[in-house]
Amino acid sequence: MHVYIYDDYLNNGRYNKIINRLEIRLTDLGLNGKIIRLGGIKNIKRTIQDEIKLGARTFIAVGNNQTVNRIIGTIVNTEIYNDFQQNTLLGIIPIGSDNSIADSFGIKNWEEACNILLARRIKKIDLGFVGSHYFLNQASIESLGTVLEIDDYYLEILDRGVINIINLLNASLSNKKDPIIPSPYDGLLNVFIKIKNQEQSYLSAKKIKVTNPTHKLIIDNSVEVATPLEITVVKNKINVIVGKERMFE
Amino acid sequence: MFNKENKPDKFKNAETIIGPSIKVKGNFQGQGDIIILGLLEGSLKTNASVFIGAKAKITANISAKDIIVNGEIHGNLKIKNYLSIGNTAKISGDLQYGEISIDKGANINGQLLMLSEEHKQVEKIKDETKKEIVEK
Repeated sequence: MHVYIYDDYLNNGRYNKIINRLEIRLTDLGLNGKIIRLGGIKNIKRTIQDEIKLGARTFIAVGNNQTVNRIIGTIVNTEIYNDFQQNTLLGIIPIGSDNSIADSFGIKNWEEACNILLARRIKKIDLGFVGSHYFLNQASIESLGTVLEIDDYYLEILDRGVINIINLLNASLSNKKDPIIPSPYDGLLNVFIKIKNQEQSYLSAKKIKVTNPTHKLIIDNSVEVATPLEITVVKNKINVIVGKERMFE
Repeated sequence: MFNKENKPDKFKNAETIIGPSIKVKGNFQGQGDIIILGLLEGSLKTNASVFIGAKAKITANISAKDIIVNGEIHGNLKIKNYLSIGNTAKISGDLQYGEISIDKGANINGQLLMLSEEHKQVEKIKDETKKEIVEK
């Protein structure tokens, strides 16, 4: 059974037309299922857990990066997730802006998302984890004044720019000139440090402690958290439904 | 082999680059090829190759398979295969190597010691044993 989780912002009237068309399309494809609106429930974790118990195996985030991250965190944190991990799937229907995660999955718009859900191409990928948040794409922070502690050494960045700690590449970070393409299967985080004069540094690690007393870490362009924080990667943590044009193998 | 004027082609796929605005402190270890263009204090160890840029400043002992040095190093180098020293290099420390080339203008203060075939064999066996242990 499919469970569609709609974000709050889709209640705005300007999305009515898209939502109507989406629901018709899903019905036409035989993909209709239960609809849950994030705004209407108090305990998303319990709701998702109850749905898993009732037999739901495919959860579809309808919204943007923020929606996906909220749902991922909730799904993988449910007490019964590990029992059903092999069978629980996450799909995305992107609506509106700020949808880099859907881009990574090769999903350009809601219409394409419906076809991708129907094709059901499944990949099991790693998740980044920082503080109490899981993330798919990346965590980023201003480089100046940031200290990264990795294994037995640490890095200080002496100039302005941005540090991207990547689990899964998205279109805005993708650069064909980069020698390393981050993989969501290798159990590693890729650190790309871009300084304003185009200088670039990179390395990879399993665990990174990030400290910056003045700037916050931004997770998937949607959540801000204060440092110091440890970022890790959880291998093979979630099954996702992806398109052919995804940014990983 | 190495082209000393520019980074060799093999470094285009280096797994680690430490840019000029980065300072690394501690025991830095890598599996793949490493390019250092910034500052490093501590130690550097890899089973692959290292490229040290002309503006890099390193206070560390370095252990690697091959290395090209164009910058400043205060520390000892133990290079299993090929040590290439460019004309902008300044090294204060003892050098151990399998093979060496030194460009005119390079500045070296330290002892130079060529690793014997016997020593290379011992190192090779050590590496293979380590690899086996890791694989197990």
